[in-house]
Amino acid sequence: MVILEAEHLAKRFGPVTAVHDLSLTVAEGEVVALLGLNGAGKSTTLHMLLGLITPDAGSIRMFGMDLARHRTEVLSKVNFAASYVDLPGALLVTEVLDAFARLYGLRRPKARVAELIELFELEPLARRPMMALSSGQRTRVQLAKALLNAPRLLVLDEPTANLDPDAGDRIRGLLGDLARTNGSAMLITSHNMREVERMCDRIHFMSGGRIVAAGSAAELAGAYGAADLEEVFLKVARG
Amino acid sequence: MTTISLPPLSWAARRTRIMGVVRRDFAALRRSPIRMFEILFWPTVELLLWGFVTAFLQTQRVPFVVAFLLGGVLLWQVLQKASNEISIAFLEDIWSRNLLNVQVSPLSSVEYLVGLVVFSLGKVVFAVTVMSGLAFALYGFGVGGFGVGLAPFMGLLLVLGWSLGLVGIAAVLRFGENAQVIAWSLVFVVQPLAGIFYPISVLPAPVQALSWFLPASHVFEGMRTVMSGGPLPWDRLLWAAGLDVVYLGLTLALFAWALRYARAHGKLSRFGD
Repeated sequence: MVILEAEHLAKRFGPVTAVHDLSLTVAEGEVVALLGLNGAGKSTTLHMLLGLITPDAGSIRMFGMDLARHRTEVLSKVNFAASYVDLPGALLVTEVLDAFARLYGLRRPKARVAELIELFELEPLARRPMMALSSGQRTRVQLAKALLNAPRLLVLDEPTANLDPDAGDRIRGLLGDLARTNGSAMLITSHNMREVERMCDRIHFMSGGRIVAAGSAAELAGAYGAADLEEVFLKVARG
Repeated sequence: MTTISLPPLSWAARRTRIMGVVRRDFAALRRSPIRMFEILFWPTVELLLWGFVTAFLQTQRVPFVVAFLLGGVLLWQVLQKASNEISIAFLEDIWSRNLLNVQVSPLSSVEYLVGLVVFSLGKVVFAVTVMSGLAFALYGFGVGGFGVGLAPFMGLLLVLGWSLGLVGIAAVLRFGENAQVIAWSLVFVVQPLAGIFYPISVLPAPVQALSWFLPASHVFEGMRTVMSGGPLPWDRLLWAAGLDVVYLGLTLALFAWALRYARAHGKLSRFGD
């Protein structure tokens, strides 16, 4: 079942074309990656899909609803984490999660926060203010926040950029489990090609605001005569 | 999976989201001794400053002026804090690079604003209660002097303060973080025009005409009427209420336009970069 359907999206910022005629679908339980060089249009695309940026053209439907007209219903089933956003520094970890549990309208916020604190092994940090955490620890809290509403679509913009290899590996495992057990779909951007190979069912390469190649990691490697996704990335990026 | 969430358009969900904003801001305030201190510091400084001026004038036997000044200080704080607190709450989301997290949540713009207003109301009530106690303890001035006008005076100034705060937020959404100076200073444009510490009649005639377009001018004139022993001037209160409704409507429309502009130009994504 398709849960995200974006058709012919376009966005310009003055003379710069950030996204051009981009169409994309994500099915339930599917993990899809958007890859590309910095400035390729990945984040603009994600932000359009989250309602942060209004597209100049095209349509976005999620769960059968138009995003612009059913913003609250759609966003209650979606969540987001990115390496470039933060959470209120003065608040304790539990307070941050509790506040967002309420912003997502959860029935039993405290119980859900306790579950996620356990899942992300945040117990030793739970009573510490966000500003006292390392960037890796803050990323774990961000990801816990992103799972509060058990989202049917999780949008992750470079989710493991600030994590050490061990923490990154554990988070990837956890996100993979989430997709398998809950049927949650994920839309991910990352510069970590091994992460993408390991996690993603389908990969879209973007360049100049367009999707220039799409397929599974194996399909793309075959199509470009490359040994792995890293090599595909370099070939796509260098034309 | 969806059973863990309330139906997103239900009143229970809306109330939960609004209270999420209030609880979050309260937690942030509780964790920041500097912010706690700041709630009372500036109002207390103003109260002391004008209180001593008042004490001096009292020795010069200037009738009524004493109560007018202290009454003006107290009600001015309602207006100033209502305006600044709502802007600060929004700016804190930008400063902490948290605005994106809030904007991608199911919280609607109206729910977000209601949350900010409820929290700012709590802070204003707290600050004014403490100041009223101080004014009584130090200068023998009781808010009972406002008579039955106390609640309408405060209510009308609160609404004007929220409107000014919304203009500040709209300016930041439209022009970016550099416009936060507007959020801080807009209320001070109102101060000389609203006749807080003097009657509107002392202003030059063209300025007086402008001044009557401010709800605050009617409130402070009304305050002086009541404190001089006159009846509650309902005509002034009705003017102030009418102007408040018009300005609140206009500023809500301005906020909605600024938010649409920010989304169309990708500005929300860039806050806090």
